[in-house]
Amino acid sequence: MKGRGRALLRLFAVQGAWSYERMIGVGMGYAGQPLLDDLEAGDPARHREATARSAEFFNCHPYLAGLALGASARAEHDGVPGAHIQRLRTALCSPLGALGDQFFWAGLVPMLMALALIGVVFGGGGWWLGLIVVVYNVVRILVTRWALLTGLNTGMQVGSAISSSWLPRAVSRISAPAGFAMGLALPVTGIWLLTPWVSAIGDALLVTAASAGLALAARRWGGPRWSSLRVGLLLAVLTLLWTRFAP
Amino acid sequence: MMHMPLPLLFAALLLWGTIVGLDLVSVPQGLLARPLVAGSVAGWLVGDVEAGLRVGAVLELFALDVLPVGASRYPEYGPASVGAVAAAAFLPPALGTGLGVLLGLVVAIVAERTLDWLRHANARHVHRLTGDLEAGSWSAIRRLQWAGLGRDAARSAGITAFGLALAFVFMHWVRLVWVPPLLTPVLVGVALAAAFTGAFRTAGHGRRRAWLGVGLATGVLAIVGLGVVG
Repeated sequence: MKGRGRALLRLFAVQGAWSYERMIGVGMGYAGQPLLDDLEAGDPARHREATARSAEFFNCHPYLAGLALGASARAEHDGVPGAHIQRLRTALCSPLGALGDQFFWAGLVPMLMALALIGVVFGGGGWWLGLIVVVYNVVRILVTRWALLTGLNTGMQVGSAISSSWLPRAVSRISAPAGFAMGLALPVTGIWLLTPWVSAIGDALLVTAASAGLALAARRWGGPRWSSLRVGLLLAVLTLLWTRFAP
Repeated sequence: MMHMPLPLLFAALLLWGTIVGLDLVSVPQGLLARPLVAGSVAGWLVGDVEAGLRVGAVLELFALDVLPVGASRYPEYGPASVGAVAAAAFLPPALGTGLGVLLGLVVAIVAERTLDWLRHANARHVHRLTGDLEAGSWSAIRRLQWAGLGRDAARSAGITAFGLALAFVFMHWVRLVWVPPLLTPVLVGVALAAAFTGAFRTAGHGRRRAWLGVGLATGVLAIVGLGVVG
């Protein structure tokens, strides 16, 4: 099958046409097109059907979309009936979304950003941040490549390939270091941000603690409407008004 | 640290903000949209890396409360960091961080609305081309993909320009005496609460919550016991 390189490259923009209508479906169709090119010469009707299927509704974690893309492209080449391919895509949405969200959005990203904050606090500066970005992108590229190749190699058996892969184990293993890094980052970053008030650190800490307490209380008892952003804006405006008009 | 003429600086910040905005969802999703990264590069461009790191760090704490799953709507802190850092860079850290973060929060809440607009605009375009898509038209897929990317680039540039315009207003019309020194501690407090909420939520009920506690205790010990920060 030709077009693996172009498909891999296009997977980095799989959410480029994200919509409430088809979610990442259009991006999947765009990324999958190089893999379906071969079909056009041999069976133009099958190629048109495969192209239409490739851009139907689909949603999962974008880094793992290659698993579904590769598997469905393999199945199209193997002549699997269209209805089976549609069922495979539907079946992959939830597990790929859940695994990717847990590993990347709730694990790796917060962990690396917590490490970035800790590094900045201890003087790492821009070089440290650059290293974090490079490490993350190396992981991101390797995972995207692994996903596409695994999908292409296993086709309709992609589900068992995912179950026996490193991914489910990694999801459970990243949990502890991510929690520790985030916990460590909070106090050290907070103190670092208050260093300009070193002459009045007691007052600054008191104000910080009070506003943090208000924000947590608003979230706990005020419901989701009181997001941290809204509480932050409200307290900032009150602080500005108090400073401007207080006697 | 870079020094460049104002129009060139504006263009550079606009370009960086557009890249950052695209990185959030469309392409390539490579951590560039994280406020700490976006802010520090903006700080380097305006010639004040320290301001970039400080404003970026506070907005990063806010961003750690966001879990960008599925079709959820969330504030966009990346392009907001660019204007925020531009505003903060002309003030001393004690005042600039708070003012910059306040600007960043305003821009982030506006940017959240534009993400919704983008998704609806893409959906309307899909509706118009549904017939072509169902007929297996490759050119319809290509048009939708590139139009989506183009819309997101325009949206990101617009949000960045809005942030930079606000920063310009702050720089020229806001008097220093209006900016209370306590603004930064107030916003740092809310940001820490936001990050803690995010960490606690993603920790679930398992051992990760215990490790979060161990991390917090270690951080407090590092500050109080060893005096390693400040």
